[in-house]
Amino acid sequence: MKRIAVFGYSVMSLEAMNRLNPEQYSIIFIAKDDAEASLVAEKGFDTKVIDFRNDDALRSVGIGTDVDTLFCFYPRDFDNVFLTISARAIDKNLTIVAIVDDPESAEKLLAAGANKIIDPYEICGRKTHEMLTKPDITNILDNTVFGRHDLNMAQIEIPKGSCLENTRTSDLKLNEKHNLILIGVVDRELGDQLHFAIGEKEHCLNAGDVLVVMGPAREIKAFKKEVEQC
Amino acid sequence: MFTRLIVYFAYFLKTSKRYQRAKLFFYDLLENPNSRLKSYFDVFMICLVMLSVFLLIYEVDHKLDAGAVLFEHCVISLFIAEYLLRGWLYSDNHKIILEHYEKADYLKLSFRPGKVAMIILAKKIEYVFTPLALIDLLAILPTYRLLRVMRILLLFRLFKLFRYFNSIKLFANILASKRFELITLGIFLGFLVFVGSTAIYLFENPANGGQVKNLFDSFYWAIVTVATVGYGDISPQTTGGRIVAMVLILAGLGVLSFLVSIIVTAFNEEIEALRENSIYTELNRFDHFIIICGFGRVGQHIARQLEKDKQNFVVIDPRESYILKAKRLGFLFIHADASKNDVMHNAGINNGATTVICATGDDVINVYITLTSRHLNPEIRIISRANNQDNVKKLYQAGASNVIQPFEIAGMAVAEYIGQPVAFEAILGIIREESHIIMETLCVHPGSLIEGMNIAEVGFEQRKLMLMGIVSANPVHQKHKNSYPIKNQHFYFNPEPHFVLRDGDLLVVIGREYAIDYFRDQIEKSRLKNGRKQ
Repeated sequence: MKRIAVFGYSVMSLEAMNRLNPEQYSIIFIAKDDAEASLVAEKGFDTKVIDFRNDDALRSVGIGTDVDTLFCFYPRDFDNVFLTISARAIDKNLTIVAIVDDPESAEKLLAAGANKIIDPYEICGRKTHEMLTKPDITNILDNTVFGRHDLNMAQIEIPKGSCLENTRTSDLKLNEKHNLILIGVVDRELGDQLHFAIGEKEHCLNAGDVLVVMGPAREIKAFKKEVEQC
Repeated sequence: MFTRLIVYFAYFLKTSKRYQRAKLFFYDLLENPNSRLKSYFDVFMICLVMLSVFLLIYEVDHKLDAGAVLFEHCVISLFIAEYLLRGWLYSDNHKIILEHYEKADYLKLSFRPGKVAMIILAKKIEYVFTPLALIDLLAILPTYRLLRVMRILLLFRLFKLFRYFNSIKLFANILASKRFELITLGIFLGFLVFVGSTAIYLFENPANGGQVKNLFDSFYWAIVTVATVGYGDISPQTTGGRIVAMVLILAGLGVLSFLVSIIVTAFNEEIEALRENSIYTELNRFDHFIIICGFGRVGQHIARQLEKDKQNFVVIDPRESYILKAKRLGFLFIHADASKNDVMHNAGINNGATTVICATGDDVINVYITLTSRHLNPEIRIISRANNQDNVKKLYQAGASNVIQPFEIAGMAVAEYIGQPVAFEAILGIIREESHIIMETLCVHPGSLIEGMNIAEVGFEQRKLMLMGIVSANPVHQKHKNSYPIKNQHFYFNPEPHFVLRDGDLLVVIGREYAIDYFRDQIEKSRLKNGRKQ
């Protein structure tokens, strides 16, 4: 189970925490005061109040030990930069996701050691643009994959010794057997990019390859189990 | 009998499509300020006028050859045709006739063609005496070589350029807007010249040893001095005359600077309106464009994306700094508050705009703009931004077609990035068309080859397409499993092979762009073919 520490209270941090599956992730919210902590605790998340400027305090929540991912969601860019620098100094392998208010700060955050920068305004702009140019598609995806319905997208890695090893993608027939649609395959022999399953190329699955599938949550779960156990 | 013939003819003109089309064409060519045809015609006429004037000047001391004479005749015929066409466009005779006929018929009075003819004639005479029509007429006259004196009318041909140069018209309008100040200045100048010329005549007449022989000389001197030109052909000799000259020069300087300042302020005041007008004219030319209300961070991102797509759009924002930014980026902008009805109306919400995007950072303003836009145009698409979850419902109530929540979307993006990076990037890549693989919807048109087929028969695999699902409002499909409600429709995910496609269903497919286009073409063609058979 991955452990995620979320810094900064906002609509966005709550949304991100809600979206993450509690069975796969253990989330801890770092509040700046008790009021904020109780607000988030009401929603059912673990909270802790610390001063993020203090490295020892950061270590005390597990940074450098058991925290795998850090969300820097403070509204001010310099807070995020400071937190990123501090956390990166403590743990070289931490995945740091930070939001950015001013686009100019993106470079600074990357320099400070963030792995992924999220610009909410840019995402919103893109989203509006997508809605303008492809209303049907955006509508369907918003209501299904990105929405609250149980239609999901998932990536499934083929473990070593799985019965799917050496299977051809065309033989998978996920849509008939599992009610899933195979969107694409990351064939490690050919690199890290995704090959869409549109009948152009046959891939032979090996351990480490990733299947990207879409379908109802329970079917995905069942298929994952099958892949791991067989 | 004669009256009935006239009325019949008027009705014929009223209903004749060909007549209406011809009139509209000439209106677009000659009068419609927004028509592209007119701007081409204007440029053509400007060239023609310049050429003909050049020819007339050349003619002063050269003999024209046959070609030049023919050219001159052509130009004049064109001028005459233009003059007559403008006269024709000026009023609709058949409308006047019918109006009077219907009135007379309603009131049971007798219809008097003579009276109507007088009204029509009065209208046409009114046209003849409009300033621009007078110039047009005078520009035609220099052709009569017999009257050498008519050559002076050549100038009118140059005045004709007024018609075709928009900037000259604008300059005239700006001056007209400062009529009061200019008249005041004119009166003051007249007074100054009058006093100056009288005084100089008194001091400088030959009896006093001066050079001013008569009142005309004194008037000429006063004008030359007030304008600070001072040729020096007449110069004051007496002390009194010199004092008058000094006063007049100083006063002249004041008058000149006053004149310049009036013109400059007039331009400054009008320049905003002029710029806005030019933006409205440009928007009028577009068949489809998008109105972006609010040029904050989100608005800027949207504008950049639209610019990449080469889509037309206009930005509306009341804040100076944002408008400056839009100006720097070269976007069309209106510096105004988008919640005002007339601003949206002028921006073309009922005239070519397809979508309104409310992207301000304030939900209250977004709700208000949404409401205003929906009220002005019930059909238009409105995409609105909600910064707070609680306001999403209000925006839908106000009439938004779609609501975007920036922070929620960003939160979701983070979660997806952490959970399923490959899957997430894949779907984003498809939507953003970063790779050649795209996701599209294809409509099952009535009469097309796929209507009535089942999924297995369509053969998506052979077509190198991936069928994700089908969107349909058709209740026939409701027995199928995997259905997800979307607004008034259902999305059927991974439909079974025996799923039969019906008219109006939307296929959601993923594939290469050309594979999708090819399939779409096939559907369209088969529809046309079957349509013809029926």
